[in-house]
Amino acid sequence: MTANVFEQAPELTEIGAAIALSANANREYARLGLLDDLAAASTIPTELIYRDWRDARRVASLPVAKDNAYVDQFGAPYFGIHRADLQKTLSTAFGLENLHLGCRLVNIIEDGDSVVLEFANGRVERADIVVGADGVRSTVRRWITGSDDAIYSGTSAFRGIVPTENLPSLPDPHAIQFWMGPDAHLLHYAIGGTGELVNFFAVVETPKIWLPEGTIAEVHEDVPIASFRGWHPAVIEMIRAAASPLRWALFTVRPLLHWYRGRIVILGDAAHGMLPHHGQGANTSIEDAFTLAALLAESSSDDVQDTFARFQALRRTRTRKIQRSSRVTSSMLHLPDGPKAQARDAKVGRVRDDFAWIHGFDVQKSLEAVDRRATASAGAV
Amino acid sequence: MSRSEVTAQIADVLSNVSSIDPSEAVSEKSFAELDIDSMTMLEVVVAIEDRFGLLIPDDDWPRFTTIDDLALYIETATLTVS
Repeated sequence: MTANVFEQAPELTEIGAAIALSANANREYARLGLLDDLAAASTIPTELIYRDWRDARRVASLPVAKDNAYVDQFGAPYFGIHRADLQKTLSTAFGLENLHLGCRLVNIIEDGDSVVLEFANGRVERADIVVGADGVRSTVRRWITGSDDAIYSGTSAFRGIVPTENLPSLPDPHAIQFWMGPDAHLLHYAIGGTGELVNFFAVVETPKIWLPEGTIAEVHEDVPIASFRGWHPAVIEMIRAAASPLRWALFTVRPLLHWYRGRIVILGDAAHGMLPHHGQGANTSIEDAFTLAALLAESSSDDVQDTFARFQALRRTRTRKIQRSSRVTSSMLHLPDGPKAQARDAKVGRVRDDFAWIHGFDVQKSLEAVDRRATASAGAV
Repeated sequence: MSRSEVTAQIADVLSNVSSIDPSEAVSEKSFAELDIDSMTMLEVVVAIEDRFGLLIPDDDWPRFTTIDDLALYIETATLTVS
Protein backbone atom coordinates (compact mmCIF):
# COMPACT_ATOMS: atom_id res chain seq x y z
CA MET A 1 0.00 0.00 0.00
CA THR A 2 1.40 3.40 -0.94
CA ALA A 3 0.61 6.42 1.22
CA ASN A 4 1.05 10.03 0.20
CA VAL A 5 0.92 12.85 2.73
CA PHE A 6 -0.39 16.26 1.65
CA GLU A 7 0.40 19.06 4.09
CA GLN A 8 -0.73 22.65 3.74
CA ALA A 9 2.34 24.13 5.44
CA PRO A 10 5.03 25.14 2.94
CA GLU A 11 7.79 23.76 5.17
CA LEU A 12 8.15 21.56 8.23
CA THR A 13 9.02 24.13 10.84
CA GLU A 14 6.46 25.07 13.41
CA ILE A 15 7.84 27.91 15.45
CA GLY A 16 6.82 28.12 19.06
CA ALA A 17 5.19 24.75 19.39
CA ALA A 18 6.25 21.67 21.26
CA ILE A 19 4.59 18.44 22.12
CA ALA A 20 4.69 15.94 24.97
CA LEU A 21 4.83 12.33 23.78
CA SER A 22 3.54 9.92 26.41
CA ALA A 23 4.02 6.17 26.75
CA ASN A 24 0.90 5.31 24.76
CA ALA A 25 2.43 6.95 21.67
CA ASN A 26 6.09 6.19 22.33
CA ARG A 27 5.27 2.49 22.66
CA GLU A 28 4.29 2.55 18.97
CA TYR A 29 7.29 4.60 17.90
CA ALA A 30 9.50 2.06 19.71
CA ARG A 31 7.92 -0.71 17.60
CA LEU A 32 8.87 1.28 14.48
CA GLY A 33 12.44 1.65 15.74
CA LEU A 34 12.16 5.45 16.05
CA LEU A 35 12.55 5.84 19.80
CA ASP A 36 16.31 6.49 19.81
CA ASP A 37 16.00 9.26 17.21
CA LEU A 38 13.16 10.87 19.15
CA ALA A 39 15.02 10.52 22.46
CA ALA A 40 18.03 12.33 21.01
CA ALA A 41 15.89 15.44 20.39
CA SER A 42 13.81 15.17 23.58
CA THR A 43 13.92 15.95 27.25
CA ILE A 44 12.49 13.48 29.75
CA PRO A 45 10.94 15.44 32.64
CA THR A 46 12.56 14.83 36.00
CA GLU A 47 9.21 15.01 37.79
CA LEU A 48 5.59 15.96 37.38
CA ILE A 49 4.96 18.83 39.80
CA TYR A 50 1.77 20.72 40.69
CA ARG A 51 2.36 24.18 42.19
CA ASP A 52 0.36 26.92 43.81
CA TRP A 53 -0.09 29.89 41.50
CA ARG A 54 1.03 32.53 44.00
CA ASP A 55 3.63 31.09 46.36
CA ALA A 56 5.04 28.29 44.15
CA ARG A 57 4.34 25.77 46.91
CA ARG A 58 4.64 22.16 45.73
CA VAL A 59 1.09 20.91 45.99
CA ALA A 60 2.10 17.46 44.76
CA SER A 61 4.91 15.84 42.85
CA LEU A 62 5.57 12.50 41.19
CA PRO A 63 8.86 11.17 39.80
CA VAL A 64 9.09 10.73 36.02
CA ALA A 65 12.76 10.26 34.96
CA LYS A 66 13.69 9.96 38.63
CA ASP A 67 14.00 6.31 39.64
CA ASN A 68 12.83 5.44 36.11
CA ALA A 69 9.37 5.65 37.67
CA TYR A 70 7.33 6.48 34.56
CA VAL A 71 8.89 3.81 32.33
CA ASP A 72 8.56 1.24 35.11
CA GLN A 73 4.84 1.97 35.39
CA PHE A 74 3.91 2.39 31.72
CA GLY A 75 6.60 0.52 29.76
CA ALA A 76 7.71 3.45 27.56
CA PRO A 77 9.16 6.91 28.19
CA TYR A 78 7.68 10.43 28.33
CA PHE A 79 9.31 13.00 26.03
CA GLY A 80 9.13 16.76 25.66
CA ILE A 81 10.03 17.50 22.02
CA HIS A 82 9.82 20.38 19.56
CA ARG A 83 7.26 19.70 16.84
CA ALA A 84 9.85 20.41 14.16
CA ASP A 85 12.09 17.67 15.61
CA LEU A 86 9.20 15.21 15.71
CA GLN A 87 8.24 16.06 12.13
CA LYS A 88 11.85 15.71 11.00
CA THR A 89 12.19 12.25 12.57
CA LEU A 90 8.88 11.05 11.14
CA SER A 91 9.36 12.54 7.67
CA THR A 92 12.87 11.07 7.39
CA ALA A 93 11.55 7.62 8.33
CA PHE A 94 8.54 7.98 6.01
CA GLY A 95 10.53 9.20 3.03
CA LEU A 96 10.39 12.68 1.60
CA GLU A 97 9.35 11.51 -1.88
CA ASN A 98 5.77 10.86 -0.72
CA LEU A 99 5.47 13.98 1.43
CA HIS A 100 3.95 16.92 -0.44
CA LEU A 101 4.16 20.34 1.22
CA GLY A 102 2.25 23.49 0.36
CA CYS A 103 -0.88 21.52 -0.54
CA ARG A 104 -4.01 23.05 1.02
CA LEU A 105 -7.08 20.95 0.34
CA VAL A 106 -9.99 22.89 -1.16
CA ASN A 107 -12.28 20.23 -2.63
CA ILE A 108 -13.13 16.54 -2.38
CA ILE A 109 -14.97 14.70 -5.14
CA GLU A 110 -16.08 11.07 -4.92
CA ASP A 111 -15.64 9.28 -8.21
CA GLY A 112 -16.66 5.62 -8.16
CA ASP A 113 -14.08 3.60 -6.27
CA SER A 114 -11.73 6.52 -5.86
CA VAL A 115 -11.61 10.05 -4.51
CA VAL A 116 -10.35 13.16 -6.26
CA LEU A 117 -8.62 15.79 -4.15
CA GLU A 118 -8.20 19.35 -5.38
CA PHE A 119 -5.61 21.61 -3.77
CA ALA A 120 -5.32 25.40 -3.69
CA ASN A 121 -2.07 25.28 -5.67
CA GLY A 122 -3.91 23.69 -8.61
CA ARG A 123 -2.71 20.16 -7.94
CA VAL A 124 -5.25 17.37 -8.43
CA GLU A 125 -4.75 13.88 -7.00
CA ARG A 126 -6.73 10.65 -7.11
CA ALA A 127 -6.72 8.22 -4.17
CA ASP A 128 -8.31 4.89 -3.23
CA ILE A 129 -9.01 6.17 0.26
CA VAL A 130 -8.48 9.48 2.04
CA VAL A 131 -7.53 9.90 5.70
CA GLY A 132 -8.21 13.41 6.97
CA ALA A 133 -5.81 14.29 9.78
CA ASP A 134 -6.35 18.01 9.32
CA GLY A 135 -7.00 19.21 12.82
CA VAL A 136 -9.78 20.66 14.91
CA ARG A 137 -11.04 22.93 12.09
CA SER A 138 -10.90 20.03 9.63
CA THR A 139 -11.94 20.55 6.01
CA VAL A 140 -12.37 16.81 5.57
CA ARG A 141 -14.70 16.57 8.57
CA ARG A 142 -16.88 19.29 7.12
CA TRP A 143 -17.18 17.18 3.97
CA ILE A 144 -18.19 14.13 6.03
CA THR A 145 -20.68 15.74 8.43
CA GLY A 146 -21.81 18.72 6.38
CA SER A 147 -21.30 21.13 9.25
CA ASP A 148 -18.59 22.80 11.30
CA ASP A 149 -18.52 20.76 14.49
CA ALA A 150 -15.77 22.75 16.20
CA ILE A 151 -16.82 24.41 19.45
CA TYR A 152 -14.92 27.21 21.17
CA SER A 153 -14.25 26.13 24.76
CA GLY A 154 -14.36 29.57 26.38
CA THR A 155 -10.66 29.22 27.11
CA SER A 156 -7.61 30.41 25.23
CA ALA A 157 -3.86 30.11 25.62
CA PHE A 158 -0.65 32.06 25.36
CA ARG A 159 2.35 29.94 24.51
CA GLY A 160 6.04 30.22 23.94
CA ILE A 161 9.45 28.58 23.93
CA VAL A 162 12.09 30.21 26.10
CA PRO A 163 15.78 29.38 26.65
CA THR A 164 16.04 27.75 30.08
CA GLU A 165 18.91 30.06 30.98
CA ASN A 166 16.51 33.02 30.71
CA LEU A 167 14.37 31.65 33.54
CA PRO A 168 16.47 32.12 36.70
CA SER A 169 13.39 32.30 38.96
CA LEU A 170 11.99 28.98 37.80
CA PRO A 171 12.30 26.12 40.28
CA ASP A 172 12.91 22.67 38.76
CA PRO A 173 13.13 23.85 35.13
CA HIS A 174 13.43 20.29 33.80
CA ALA A 175 10.24 19.09 35.45
CA ILE A 176 6.82 19.14 33.80
CA GLN A 177 4.85 21.54 35.97
CA PHE A 178 1.30 22.74 36.35
CA TRP A 179 0.88 26.09 38.12
CA MET A 180 -2.76 26.12 39.22
CA GLY A 181 -4.68 29.30 40.04
CA PRO A 182 -8.03 31.05 39.82
CA ASP A 183 -9.45 30.91 36.26
CA ALA A 184 -6.07 30.03 34.77
CA HIS A 185 -3.12 27.65 34.77
CA LEU A 186 0.31 27.48 33.25
CA LEU A 187 1.90 24.24 32.05
CA HIS A 188 5.52 23.94 31.02
CA TYR A 189 8.11 21.30 30.25
CA ALA A 190 11.63 21.28 28.84
CA ILE A 191 12.44 20.26 25.27
CA GLY A 192 15.58 19.69 23.21
CA GLY A 193 18.24 17.04 23.72
CA THR A 194 19.59 18.70 26.86
CA GLY A 195 16.55 20.53 28.17
CA GLU A 196 17.92 23.79 26.87
CA LEU A 197 14.47 25.19 26.11
CA VAL A 198 11.26 25.44 28.10
CA ASN A 199 7.93 25.20 26.30
CA PHE A 200 4.94 26.73 28.07
CA PHE A 201 1.21 26.86 27.60
CA ALA A 202 -0.70 29.41 29.71
CA VAL A 203 -4.48 28.96 29.70
CA VAL A 204 -7.05 31.59 30.68
CA GLU A 205 -10.85 31.59 30.80
CA THR A 206 -11.20 34.45 28.34
CA PRO A 207 -12.59 35.53 26.01
CA LYS A 208 -16.05 34.09 26.60
CA ILE A 209 -16.82 34.28 22.88
CA TRP A 210 -14.29 33.82 20.08
CA LEU A 211 -14.92 36.20 17.21
CA PRO A 212 -11.82 35.96 14.94
CA GLU A 213 -12.02 33.82 11.81
CA GLY A 214 -9.08 31.56 12.61
CA THR A 215 -7.85 30.05 15.88
CA ILE A 216 -5.04 32.56 16.49
CA ALA A 217 -5.44 36.26 17.20
CA GLU A 218 -2.99 39.03 17.87
CA VAL A 219 -3.31 40.77 21.23
CA HIS A 220 -1.66 43.82 22.76
CA GLU A 221 1.76 42.84 24.08
CA ASP A 222 0.68 43.58 27.68
CA VAL A 223 -2.29 41.19 27.60
CA PRO A 224 -0.49 37.89 28.35
CA ILE A 225 1.28 39.30 31.40
CA ALA A 226 -1.78 41.22 32.59
CA SER A 227 -3.76 37.97 32.44
CA PHE A 228 -1.45 36.52 35.12
CA ARG A 229 -1.20 39.57 37.40
CA GLY A 230 -0.45 38.49 40.98
CA TRP A 231 1.04 35.13 39.97
CA HIS A 232 4.45 33.94 41.13
CA PRO A 233 7.45 35.82 39.61
CA ALA A 234 8.61 32.65 37.79
CA VAL A 235 5.33 32.57 35.86
CA ILE A 236 5.53 36.26 34.95
CA GLU A 237 9.20 35.87 33.98
CA MET A 238 8.37 33.03 31.60
CA ILE A 239 5.51 34.81 29.87
CA ARG A 240 7.53 38.01 29.60
CA ALA A 241 10.55 36.14 28.18
CA ALA A 242 8.44 34.67 25.37
CA ALA A 243 7.20 38.14 24.37
CA SER A 244 4.55 36.56 22.15
CA PRO A 245 1.51 38.76 21.48
CA LEU A 246 -0.61 35.89 20.19
CA ARG A 247 -3.64 34.18 21.68
CA TRP A 248 -4.65 30.64 20.67
CA ALA A 249 -8.33 29.78 20.96
CA LEU A 250 -8.93 26.31 22.39
CA PHE A 251 -11.53 24.50 20.31
CA THR A 252 -12.97 21.05 20.77
CA VAL A 253 -15.02 18.93 18.38
CA ARG A 254 -18.50 17.93 19.50
CA PRO A 255 -18.80 14.14 19.71
CA LEU A 256 -19.59 12.65 16.31
CA LEU A 257 -21.54 9.52 15.46
CA HIS A 258 -19.58 8.90 12.25
CA TRP A 259 -15.94 9.44 11.47
CA TYR A 260 -16.23 8.28 7.87
CA ARG A 261 -18.26 8.59 4.71
CA GLY A 262 -17.64 6.62 1.57
CA ARG A 263 -13.90 6.14 1.15
CA ILE A 264 -12.98 9.02 3.42
CA VAL A 265 -12.22 8.85 7.14
CA ILE A 266 -10.97 11.32 9.75
CA LEU A 267 -8.75 10.82 12.76
CA GLY A 268 -7.02 12.81 15.51
CA ASP A 269 -8.27 16.30 16.31
CA ALA A 270 -10.40 16.24 13.17
CA ALA A 271 -12.47 13.42 14.71
CA HIS A 272 -12.25 14.16 18.42
CA GLY A 273 -10.54 17.51 19.02
CA MET A 274 -10.06 17.87 22.77
CA LEU A 275 -8.71 20.32 25.29
CA PRO A 276 -4.99 19.74 25.72
CA HIS A 277 -4.96 19.36 29.52
CA HIS A 278 -4.11 15.66 29.53
CA GLY A 279 -1.50 16.27 26.84
CA GLN A 280 -3.35 13.76 24.69
CA GLY A 281 -4.40 15.56 21.51
CA ALA A 282 -1.35 14.40 19.58
CA ASN A 283 -0.93 11.15 21.48
CA THR A 284 -4.46 9.95 20.74
CA SER A 285 -3.95 11.01 17.10
CA ILE A 286 -0.87 8.79 17.01
CA GLU A 287 -2.88 5.94 18.56
CA ASP A 288 -5.55 6.50 15.88
CA ALA A 289 -2.96 6.41 13.10
CA PHE A 290 -1.38 3.15 14.26
CA THR A 291 -4.80 1.56 14.75
CA LEU A 292 -6.05 2.56 11.31
CA ALA A 293 -2.79 1.53 9.65
CA ALA A 294 -2.98 -1.93 11.22
CA LEU A 295 -6.60 -2.39 10.15
CA LEU A 296 -5.94 -1.18 6.60
CA ALA A 297 -2.90 -3.43 6.29
CA GLU A 298 -5.06 -6.52 6.74
CA SER A 299 -8.06 -5.38 4.67
CA SER A 300 -8.76 -5.32 0.95
CA SER A 301 -10.00 -2.35 -1.05
CA ASP A 302 -13.46 -3.98 -1.18
CA ASP A 303 -14.10 -3.74 2.54
CA VAL A 304 -13.21 -0.12 3.18
CA GLN A 305 -16.51 0.58 4.96
CA ASP A 306 -16.03 -2.38 7.25
CA THR A 307 -12.46 -1.29 8.02
CA PHE A 308 -13.53 2.26 8.83
CA ALA A 309 -16.38 0.96 11.00
CA ARG A 310 -13.96 -1.24 12.94
CA PHE A 311 -11.58 1.68 13.34
CA GLN A 312 -14.30 3.90 14.71
CA ALA A 313 -15.58 1.17 17.02
CA LEU A 314 -12.09 0.70 18.42
CA ARG A 315 -11.40 4.38 18.97
CA ARG A 316 -14.60 6.28 19.70
CA THR A 317 -15.11 5.33 23.34
CA ARG A 318 -11.51 5.86 24.42
CA THR A 319 -11.12 9.23 22.76
CA ARG A 320 -14.52 10.40 24.07
CA LYS A 321 -13.42 9.49 27.59
CA ILE A 322 -10.20 11.46 27.30
CA GLN A 323 -12.01 14.35 25.64
CA ARG A 324 -14.45 14.54 28.53
CA SER A 325 -11.81 14.04 31.19
CA SER A 326 -9.71 16.86 29.69
CA ARG A 327 -12.67 19.21 30.05
CA VAL A 328 -13.15 18.28 33.70
CA THR A 329 -9.41 18.74 34.26
CA SER A 330 -9.60 22.27 32.86
CA SER A 331 -12.09 23.24 35.57
CA MET A 332 -10.06 21.51 38.27
CA LEU A 333 -6.89 23.39 37.32
CA HIS A 334 -8.70 26.74 37.49
CA LEU A 335 -10.33 26.60 40.92
CA PRO A 336 -10.13 29.71 43.09
CA ASP A 337 -8.43 29.41 46.48
CA GLY A 338 -10.80 27.77 48.94
CA PRO A 339 -12.29 24.44 49.99
CA LYS A 340 -12.69 23.06 46.46
CA ALA A 341 -9.06 23.83 45.62
CA GLN A 342 -7.98 22.23 48.89
CA ALA A 343 -9.95 19.09 48.09
CA ARG A 344 -8.32 18.98 44.65
CA ASP A 345 -4.86 19.51 46.16
CA ALA A 346 -5.41 16.61 48.53
CA LYS A 347 -5.91 14.16 45.67
CA VAL A 348 -3.86 15.57 42.79
CA GLY A 349 -0.88 13.47 43.89
CA ARG A 350 -2.81 10.38 42.78
CA VAL A 351 -3.01 11.68 39.24
CA ARG A 352 -0.71 9.12 37.65
CA ASP A 353 -2.63 6.17 39.02
CA ASP A 354 -5.95 7.87 38.29
CA PHE A 355 -4.90 8.35 34.66
CA ALA A 356 -2.95 5.13 34.22
CA TRP A 357 -5.69 4.09 31.77
CA ILE A 358 -4.50 6.88 29.47
CA HIS A 359 -0.75 6.32 29.58
CA GLY A 360 -0.80 2.54 29.95
CA PHE A 361 -2.88 2.02 26.81
CA ASP A 362 -1.38 -0.28 24.20
CA VAL A 363 -2.69 0.03 20.62
CA GLN A 364 -1.50 -3.42 19.60
CA LYS A 365 -3.19 -5.05 22.58
CA SER A 366 -6.44 -3.25 21.76
CA LEU A 367 -6.25 -4.72 18.24
CA GLU A 368 -5.45 -8.19 19.57
CA ALA A 369 -8.42 -7.99 21.96
CA VAL A 370 -10.72 -7.34 19.01
CA ASP A 371 -9.21 -10.27 17.14
CA ARG A 372 -9.74 -12.51 20.17
CA ARG A 373 -13.37 -11.41 20.49
CA ALA A 374 -13.92 -12.04 16.76
CA THR A 375 -12.34 -15.50 17.05
CA ALA A 376 -14.42 -16.32 20.14
CA SER A 377 -17.66 -15.26 18.46
CA ALA A 378 -16.76 -17.24 15.30
CA GLY A 379 -16.10 -20.25 17.54
CA ALA A 380 -19.44 -19.77 19.26
CA VAL A 381 -21.18 -20.06 15.88
CA MET B 1 -40.00 1.49 19.92
CA SER B 2 -41.80 1.07 23.27
CA ARG B 3 -40.26 1.96 26.63
CA SER B 4 -40.00 -1.72 27.58
CA GLU B 5 -38.19 -2.50 24.32
CA VAL B 6 -35.78 0.37 24.93
CA THR B 7 -35.22 -0.86 28.49
CA ALA B 8 -34.43 -4.35 27.18
CA GLN B 9 -31.89 -2.86 24.78
CA ILE B 10 -30.29 -0.89 27.62
CA ALA B 11 -30.09 -4.07 29.70
CA ASP B 12 -28.35 -5.80 26.80
CA VAL B 13 -25.83 -2.94 26.46
CA LEU B 14 -25.16 -3.03 30.21
CA SER B 15 -24.49 -6.75 30.09
CA ASN B 16 -22.04 -6.24 27.20
CA VAL B 17 -20.23 -3.26 28.70
CA SER B 18 -20.21 -4.20 32.34
CA SER B 19 -21.19 -7.89 32.59
CA ILE B 20 -24.35 -6.99 34.46
CA ASP B 21 -27.01 -9.70 34.51
CA PRO B 22 -29.81 -8.31 32.27
CA SER B 23 -32.40 -9.42 34.83
CA GLU B 24 -30.79 -6.97 37.29
CA ALA B 25 -31.19 -4.05 34.90
CA VAL B 26 -34.79 -3.11 35.64
CA SER B 27 -36.33 0.32 35.07
CA GLU B 28 -36.17 1.68 38.60
CA LYS B 29 -32.56 0.58 39.23
CA SER B 30 -30.07 3.41 39.46
CA PHE B 31 -26.74 3.20 37.70
CA ALA B 32 -25.09 3.75 41.09
CA GLU B 33 -26.82 0.63 42.42
CA LEU B 34 -25.38 -1.27 39.46
CA ASP B 35 -21.87 0.04 40.32
CA ILE B 36 -21.68 2.04 37.08
CA ASP B 37 -19.17 4.84 37.66
CA SER B 38 -18.87 7.89 35.40
CA MET B 39 -16.25 6.33 33.12
CA THR B 40 -18.25 3.13 32.66
CA MET B 41 -21.33 5.27 32.10
CA LEU B 42 -19.57 6.92 29.20
CA GLU B 43 -18.93 3.48 27.68
CA VAL B 44 -22.62 2.73 28.12
CA VAL B 45 -23.57 6.02 26.46
CA VAL B 46 -21.33 5.44 23.43
CA ALA B 47 -22.69 1.89 23.03
CA ILE B 48 -26.25 3.24 23.30
CA GLU B 49 -25.45 5.89 20.67
CA ASP B 50 -24.16 3.23 18.29
CA ARG B 51 -27.15 0.99 18.86
CA PHE B 52 -29.84 3.67 18.45
CA GLY B 53 -27.98 5.88 15.98
CA LEU B 54 -28.42 8.98 18.09
CA LEU B 55 -25.97 11.28 19.76
CA ILE B 56 -26.22 11.96 23.49
CA PRO B 57 -24.39 15.23 24.25
CA ASP B 58 -21.96 15.07 27.19
CA ASP B 59 -24.01 17.63 29.09
CA ASP B 60 -27.10 15.39 28.97
CA TRP B 61 -25.99 12.02 30.26
CA PRO B 62 -24.85 12.94 33.80
CA ARG B 63 -28.51 13.56 34.63
CA PHE B 64 -29.47 9.92 34.00
CA THR B 65 -29.90 8.50 37.49
CA THR B 66 -31.96 5.41 36.73
CA ILE B 67 -32.32 3.12 33.74
CA ASP B 68 -35.77 4.59 33.20
CA ASP B 69 -34.28 8.11 32.92
CA LEU B 70 -32.12 6.88 30.05
CA ALA B 71 -34.98 4.90 28.49
CA LEU B 72 -37.23 7.97 28.52
CA TYR B 73 -34.47 10.07 26.95
CA ILE B 74 -33.93 7.53 24.15
CA GLU B 75 -37.66 7.13 23.59
CA THR B 76 -38.10 10.89 23.25
CA ALA B 77 -35.01 11.37 21.08
CA THR B 78 -35.89 8.56 18.67
CA LEU B 79 -39.44 9.88 18.38
CA THR B 80 -38.00 13.29 17.50
CA VAL B 81 -35.65 11.74 14.95
CA SER B 82 -38.35 9.71 13.25
